[in-house]
Amino acid sequence: MQKSTTPFLLISCFLLLVSCASHELTKGYATQALQKNTYEVPYFLNPQTDYVYKANISVYGNELSGIFIAKKINETTHRVVFTTEFGNKLLDFEISETQFKVNSIVSELDKKILINTLKSDFRLLLRSQYNISKQFENTENTIYQSQAGNKYYYLFTSKSDNKLYKIVEASKRKEKINLSFTSENNIFAQRIIIQHYNIKLRIEFNFFKPQSN
Amino acid sequence: MKIKLTILLLSIFSLTTSAQEQKMTAAEAAAFKQSVNDVSKKIKTLTTDFVQFKHMDFLSKDIETSGKMSFKEPSLLQWQYKKPYNYSIVFKNGKILINDEGKKSAVDIGNSKIFAKLNKLIVGSVSGNLFDDKEFDIAYFKGKQNMARLNPKDAALKKYIKQIELTFDKEDFTVVQVKLLESSEDYTRIVLKNKVINAKIDDAVFTN
Repeated sequence: MQKSTTPFLLISCFLLLVSCASHELTKGYATQALQKNTYEVPYFLNPQTDYVYKANISVYGNELSGIFIAKKINETTHRVVFTTEFGNKLLDFEISETQFKVNSIVSELDKKILINTLKSDFRLLLRSQYNISKQFENTENTIYQSQAGNKYYYLFTSKSDNKLYKIVEASKRKEKINLSFTSENNIFAQRIIIQHYNIKLRIEFNFFKPQSN
Repeated sequence: MKIKLTILLLSIFSLTTSAQEQKMTAAEAAAFKQSVNDVSKKIKTLTTDFVQFKHMDFLSKDIETSGKMSFKEPSLLQWQYKKPYNYSIVFKNGKILINDEGKKSAVDIGNSKIFAKLNKLIVGSVSGNLFDDKEFDIAYFKGKQNMARLNPKDAALKKYIKQIELTFDKEDFTVVQVKLLESSEDYTRIVLKNKVINAKIDDAVFTN
């Protein structure tokens, strides 16, 4: 009996090891006991703030630029508008975690695939809370892992100043979208980059400094 | 309640506008058009500083950008934003040349009717040479300043711009403000100042 169970145990330990083996993203990190069950994202929260950015979008070698505006209009919803530098409105969405409404979009951009991509990108950008299922750390950073169905979210925070500087959306094995924040105060992000890995799409937002004159 | 309040606000608004501005008579409009056309015909070059205010109802503040515009006959145009970012766009020989913080790109608009119209509209807005009854339904107003409201007839243009409102200097008949209204009542207001007419402009300005 003893003999026959040993290989079985070995195999199951091995399998266990494999299934426990962390995602590439958490390589070099140690698993930690959960300190909290939810993580509150500090950005895009203030309903009094007009979040206005210069936007540069690079999609399959084409460059598009304009002005990106987001504003929290009620507890659950943000209004998101993208205009040209001249001020012409290109698209105008209302977006929450469960609802989505197109207020307007110019015919040139009115493509289902584009709208769906932007919808999920903006949802990721404006999402305010994650349920945490795992936690990892190394000397500099803490990573919080959240899971929803087959989607995984990795929230990277720096230990020194507690800032959320990166969110990665991934499948079980692969990174899908990398969302990075540069923030001075961990309330407002001056610079945001949304980098896709499965399509050639990169969106960069740079905070629009108010004019001093 | 909300509707009542809106009606009240609207009627106050229309009262105040009607107090400040009055529709010109046919004779006044003809004379005004003539004066503006005379001035705009003499414009060979034009440079002006501008401040752009993007107004959207849901924002707490207008988005303000500013820079400089240069125009040279017959159709060289540079629109240059300097604050809060450097972004310049040149309309030249059927091409749009863009310089976005040093990153350069070009778009061929040779065959794009809508861009040709847009180009004409921008130049016309600033020079005042926009009174084309075939393209627009135009109404003229007098008051503290003279004003023209233009409603595009072209369906393609109408999608982007519901109305263009040009405000003119009472003394020299040049444009001092351009207001572009979008269909949703949001607008872009551009204030022109420090205008210089017919100074020499080097073609190199339009290279981007």
